[in-house]
Amino acid sequence: MNAIQVDHLRRVFTTNVGRFRRESKEVVAVDDVSFAVGDGELFGLLGPNGAGKTTTVKMLTTLLIPTSGSARVGGFDVEHESQKISSTIGFIFGGERGLYWRLSGIDNLRYFASLYHVEPAVAAKRIPYLLDLVGLKDRGNEKVEGYSRGMKQRLHIARALIHDPQILFLDEPTIGLDPVGARELRLVIRNLQAEKKTILLTTHYMFEADMLCQRIAVIDKGNIVALDTPEELKKLVLDLSVIEVEVFGVQDDLLEKIRKQKFVDNVSVENRDQRQILTVQTPRGSEAIPDLMAIFDGRRVGKVTSREPTLEDAYVRLVGGDA
Amino acid sequence: MLNTARINLRLFWDGAVLSYIALFRWLRPSTYIASKVFGPLVYMLFFVLLGRYATGSSDASFFVIGNAIQMCAWSGIYGITMSITGDHWDGTLPYVFGAPANRLIVFLGRAFIHVIDGYLGVVLGFFWGITLLGLDLSQTSLPALALVVLITTISTSGLGMLLGCLSLMTRNVMFVNNTVFFGLLLFAGANVDVATFPGWMQSISYALPLTRGIQAGRAIVAGADLSQVSGLLSTEFLFGLIYIALGYVLFRWFEKQAKRRGTLEAV
Repeated sequence: MNAIQVDHLRRVFTTNVGRFRRESKEVVAVDDVSFAVGDGELFGLLGPNGAGKTTTVKMLTTLLIPTSGSARVGGFDVEHESQKISSTIGFIFGGERGLYWRLSGIDNLRYFASLYHVEPAVAAKRIPYLLDLVGLKDRGNEKVEGYSRGMKQRLHIARALIHDPQILFLDEPTIGLDPVGARELRLVIRNLQAEKKTILLTTHYMFEADMLCQRIAVIDKGNIVALDTPEELKKLVLDLSVIEVEVFGVQDDLLEKIRKQKFVDNVSVENRDQRQILTVQTPRGSEAIPDLMAIFDGRRVGKVTSREPTLEDAYVRLVGGDA
Repeated sequence: MLNTARINLRLFWDGAVLSYIALFRWLRPSTYIASKVFGPLVYMLFFVLLGRYATGSSDASFFVIGNAIQMCAWSGIYGITMSITGDHWDGTLPYVFGAPANRLIVFLGRAFIHVIDGYLGVVLGFFWGITLLGLDLSQTSLPALALVVLITTISTSGLGMLLGCLSLMTRNVMFVNNTVFFGLLLFAGANVDVATFPGWMQSISYALPLTRGIQAGRAIVAGADLSQVSGLLSTEFLFGLIYIALGYVLFRWFEKQAKRRGTLEAV
């Protein structure tokens, strides 16, 4: 039996617009999603903002009722057996909220231990263990409001583990963290993986998914567009090379012009301070550089490099647009 | 069975204590004590002296008793509402609703310390009344008065629990709280005898908690025994239970609707 089994899950939100003449509008957040996660697997759900990752996690954690389709977590149906699921899972959503800021880290864990029916004697041992696991051993007595963002997110991990669940849902756990904080959190996730926990991790950081996940589902516009191991997903772009061009103030019309070139498979732009990094996927490799430079037609260009494709390039090819 | 009871008792106690600490921990102990001790004093002085001036009466007991018992509404309305709605503002609601905890225990736990707090507030109100405003309790059965205060505090807290659940659905928590608190101040008869109200106002007064509690309190202080106010007290208690039940039903309805409509985190 799979730890998580998702079959044709769909979620439509109805919103009302207008103050006096209110009209209903339907938004499809998750269209048709199916996948399975094995026991002890670290499974990644990758997708751009608004792709449906968080909505999917909310349905699997029983916080949102699906519009249609079905899902089973730990063998229980998410809609009809939510009470049984809640004892067997732990979950966190990225960001700082979701903790009692005026309580200490220890008091937060104590309260969640009560909510999850953890015996006081067990909680008394588990709380110091978890604080140590997430690197907050010396800060547990301090109020959460004084914690850094990274510390709060690590406390979230401890909170999610308080009842020692076998299945964990981590929704963008490293979002907004500085590189050191994110690395520490990834180390915690690695340790959980070593403990054979089943983990569903959502992220839009490719290297994170590549580093941690055994299999990855790429979700876009509410649908799974690819599902495989990171290595297999990378093979989707084996026929391509990647040229990165440092540019300054690139305009949309120029981007459009590059996209229309026959030798260009995909283009994405990443802003870095005053400059942008233009990532061009092409089957022609570095041979395409002179043709590419010709399009810039004397505009200011910085460093130009050519490299092998990564998981991120596979992702860009799958979902298109800006990474 | 015994284990379930033990788990729920623990949940109730932790929820009660920690939610209360979470609400007031931003205050220094000295500020907290001052707000709990001197706030009620200023409140009592204002209404009692105003009432005495307006009526020209030298006997302030009507106003002292009314406003001392009304004191429980501070914790009962504001405290409980903020404790329940705090989960919404802190973003902890999905984690509370995602846990297997018994919702009724979670719900009642949030109110528990505020009931005690409200009770002590009334005691303090009477203390100021006796020491500074000349309230005479020589004819009063103190155990009976203690029971009146307890029942009235619970019933007023029941209304607070209902409001707390309503506040999960609105951004205007303080607007709702202020309206209800000052509504109680008017309709429950702390400063004006309910019997002098027009009929439609009396209907509202008797649909609210506190009204009968204040009347029972005045009767007990004047020398009545418990049997003479048992009707008032049992109805007051019944109203409290109805408000608590309505609050709990609303709490569960909110959870179901939020999961159905995806509004759990909407603030």
